[in-house]
Amino acid sequence: MISEKLVEFIHGPVFMAIGTRNEKLRPTHTFVGGAIVNQDRETITCFVPQHRAEEIRGNLENNGRIAMAVGSLSHESYQFKGRYVSSRPTDARDVAIQEIHRTKLLALMLQYGYQEQIARPLVLGFRYQPAVAITFRVEEIFLQTPGPEAGKKIA
Amino acid sequence: MGVLPDEIKPAMEGVIPAHVATCSLDGTPNVTALSQVYYVDADHVALSFQFFNKTIKNVRENPYAVAWIISPESFDSWDLELEYDHSETSGPVFDAMDMRIEAIASMTGMTGIFKLKAADIYRVKSAVKNTDERIPLAAIDK
Repeated sequence: MISEKLVEFIHGPVFMAIGTRNEKLRPTHTFVGGAIVNQDRETITCFVPQHRAEEIRGNLENNGRIAMAVGSLSHESYQFKGRYVSSRPTDARDVAIQEIHRTKLLALMLQYGYQEQIARPLVLGFRYQPAVAITFRVEEIFLQTPGPEAGKKIA
Repeated sequence: MGVLPDEIKPAMEGVIPAHVATCSLDGTPNVTALSQVYYVDADHVALSFQFFNKTIKNVRENPYAVAWIISPESFDSWDLELEYDHSETSGPVFDAMDMRIEAIASMTGMTGIFKLKAADIYRVKSAVKNTDERIPLAAIDK
């Protein structure tokens, strides 16, 4: 079960990315534009832009393995590893979650002192719609904050 | 002519962190943020080895990696397909990367935490500019 602290962390504002792999063990990466922990607190649904989703979904339907990195501007970071459950096109609620996340992330970057000409294009400048909602069951959680404890399994 | 064009160099200055994905031999993917993908030459990049983490372990048993980097000038993103080649613990690439990591650390409050142990050298198999990924700057400002 994902702890309350990590549920809050995933809900952001944070930067996220997922990794999958194909049958030849070649990795694939894509950025993620928002994610939610579902009510069961065992699955996460993340939003992947459509133009990057085809290869990701192919990999997930082939072998189900997925890793999601979640990092804040403070450098606090975690990695969630698990198994693919399902995917679907994003709906209006998902889009609202994405838009709230983008707004919060931009505000946080500006609060941290990032120049607006860097923060705005970085947060708002990538196509996040249309998107695919990918749900996976979390099996392991690792601390990824830079330091000697990085990589430590915490759940 | 190498795989990496000159226009990619700003994306390797360490201004915007990169993402790197790898895969272990048992088929478990791993993805992590990285301070910098360092330009070595038109066919090679270096990734920093600061802690003995999963990326380091994975590429020593399965050498393939992908990196996503962003230019702080144009905000174009690039996907790099990489293959781990070797590790360097001294020499010009290590020294330049060490200095750069220290500079990034001092600017991000991570002095004493970011410490280069080795420069892992990768051969670049492909570099693809994601031309359709950007929302034009003019559209963002509206």
